[in-house]
Amino acid sequence: MQTALQFGPVLIHLDRLLVGVWQTIQLAVLSILLGTVIGTLGAIGRSFGPRWVSWPIAAYVELIRNTPLLIQLYFVFFTLPLIGLKFSSGTAAILALSIHLGAYATEILRAGVQSVPVGQIEAAKSLGLSSYRIIRHVVLVPAVRAVYPALSSQFILQLMGTSIVGAIAAEELTAIANNLVMQTFRSFEVYIVIAVIYFVLVQAASLVFAGLGRLLFRWKN
Amino acid sequence: MSLRDFGPNELMFLIMATRWTILLALIAFAGGGVIGLVVAALRVAPLPPLRWLAAGYIQFFMGTPILIQLFMAYYGSSLLGFRPDPWAAAAVTFSLNGGAFFGEIFRGSIDAVPKGQWEASTALGLRFIPTLRLVILPQAVRLMLPPTVGFMVQIVKTTSVASLIGLTELARAATQINTVTFQPVLVFGTVSLIYFMLCWPLSLYAGYLERRVGEGVAVKTRKPLLLAS
Amino acid sequence: MPNRLKRVLAGLALALVAMLPAVAVAQTVDEIIARGKLIIAVDTTTPPYGFLDAELKPTGFDIEVANKMGEALGVPVEFVTVTSPGRIPALLTKQVDAVVSIFSITPARAIQIDYSIPYAGQSAVVIAPKSTAISGHADLVGKKVGLTRGTAEDGILTAAAEANPGIEILRFDDYASLLQAMVSGQIDAMGGGDYGEIYLKKAQNGDDFEQKYKLKTFYFGIGVAKGNDNLRQWLNTWLFTLKSDGVLADLSMKYRNQPLPDLPVF
Repeated sequence: MQTALQFGPVLIHLDRLLVGVWQTIQLAVLSILLGTVIGTLGAIGRSFGPRWVSWPIAAYVELIRNTPLLIQLYFVFFTLPLIGLKFSSGTAAILALSIHLGAYATEILRAGVQSVPVGQIEAAKSLGLSSYRIIRHVVLVPAVRAVYPALSSQFILQLMGTSIVGAIAAEELTAIANNLVMQTFRSFEVYIVIAVIYFVLVQAASLVFAGLGRLLFRWKN
Repeated sequence: MSLRDFGPNELMFLIMATRWTILLALIAFAGGGVIGLVVAALRVAPLPPLRWLAAGYIQFFMGTPILIQLFMAYYGSSLLGFRPDPWAAAAVTFSLNGGAFFGEIFRGSIDAVPKGQWEASTALGLRFIPTLRLVILPQAVRLMLPPTVGFMVQIVKTTSVASLIGLTELARAATQINTVTFQPVLVFGTVSLIYFMLCWPLSLYAGYLERRVGEGVAVKTRKPLLLAS
Repeated sequence: MPNRLKRVLAGLALALVAMLPAVAVAQTVDEIIARGKLIIAVDTTTPPYGFLDAELKPTGFDIEVANKMGEALGVPVEFVTVTSPGRIPALLTKQVDAVVSIFSITPARAIQIDYSIPYAGQSAVVIAPKSTAISGHADLVGKKVGLTRGTAEDGILTAAAEANPGIEILRFDDYASLLQAMVSGQIDAMGGGDYGEIYLKKAQNGDDFEQKYKLKTFYFGIGVAKGNDNLRQWLNTWLFTLKSDGVLADLSMKYRNQPLPDLPVF
């Protein structure tokens, strides 16, 4: 019976919650890195690749972006073992999260790539730069700079998306919060504390991405 | 309890559950839309405290995971003396959450309307709300449409999270059917297909709307989008 | 930042207060009969006690007990579905008359609600494929053990994991996910109720599943709001007749394919 809010029983377990914060950050960072790599390859393949490359990528993007992350998690964790791919909860979570972000990142970066004036690429070709160099310096850098705000927003969404991986028994902040609720029966207090922690995480992440953006894109055209 | 193969009965169960997914999405759209209009109006209101209230509301609902908001509504309701009902909790949460996102979308398009329109309205003697209603919003509506339809796709997908507070919709039906058939490829494959059929048309429509607005906007602005980098 | 947070919390409180008030409810047997219906909370995702049949209607051991309760009182039954965490709040807020939902009798819960005498019993057990040799906590070391969050198995096996380092515990939100994990081979063993359907499936290596050892035997009681002695006394009387007439034993064979354990009373 809860009549008054009591935060005491929750706050003594702050150490467990901080473990959860660390796990959440790990999930987010790893899946963001992997997802961005997937997205970069996808955007390039989609924009410059032959049809047998760009069409499967487009299909992947449409499929992932139009189905829920939860179902993708269930698929990786419960279905893949049937064909011999048995991943642990944590690995499955990172895999599904990366594939999820990869689709969004592909779309976002593709828009960025297409915003690079064709003339730039042709000028680079005529200067004799290798394909790799062209893609890296002439296409990717301006592309990422153009869509950086959209990309950072997607990263923030990814951070919050980690909250549902408890459905496949992966450990992170929300799962630990649920354990705490079962233990202390102080559901509302636990979730208020968790909400505050996520809020702080999101603000911190926004600052980090903003700072990173200023650092990476110091020079303007 | 017998074990069944995934057949027409099970498929029917999934399709019936899709009704609840659609219902929750519509509630989120309606409730969120109305709240979003209010929030957007507050965000551009002349009184600073109103702007801060709206900004704080948006920050909270956009800056915390919706699952946490759902848990708070579900368990918190018992504190206030209400029976914890997944539907009530989900309806309230999705409306409030949607209200924050729609508020931002609406505000963005309101801001895109040239400031001159506000000044002209004041010169004509119109106060804040009539200005908003008669002059600003009609012009902002065109810009609002693409992100609004795009967010609808998000809403449909996010209804799956309501399964985690026990609400029976498509994602929950999927796990229930899988427990009876243990044929995950068929079950999750079918469920993915159903979600895809709900979301993809909306995504395509949002893309179409965006292209239509883009043509108009490119004509109106002075700088072509290409030089945005 | 603090100002903004205050405003944000104020906004949230406003939102919660705006939720619709719930239906008023009767408490005593007379009030229930006068009201003309019996409101019972059940869970339709916990076979064989509560589940949906092929026509998607609620059925199961608990559902039949609830229906018989209505028959005995002469009123129709209105079912309200809850999940495990929602059972106690449903009674605390007096929004249902009773909870019939594999409600294990524990002292902690009895602080907040009242129980009838047991009407069924179930053991929490450890289940694993036939070929896996497990006879006690120590054999779980080096294995992945799944369980449902917040259940009694959670308490027992978590303590076991602390006493025997090397046991990896995977906590799922519901029984359905736990079952899927077991069948897909994501966990080596599970702690759960001794229900029937896991035995109908085979493990990834083709083995049948079998019960390895008992964790604890639970007794299910019908939950009522604290202090509702009027209803509770009627329930105890009614359950006594149900037991002595053999009705409960028949239900047990029908849904669990097992006889009822001895049901002590208090």
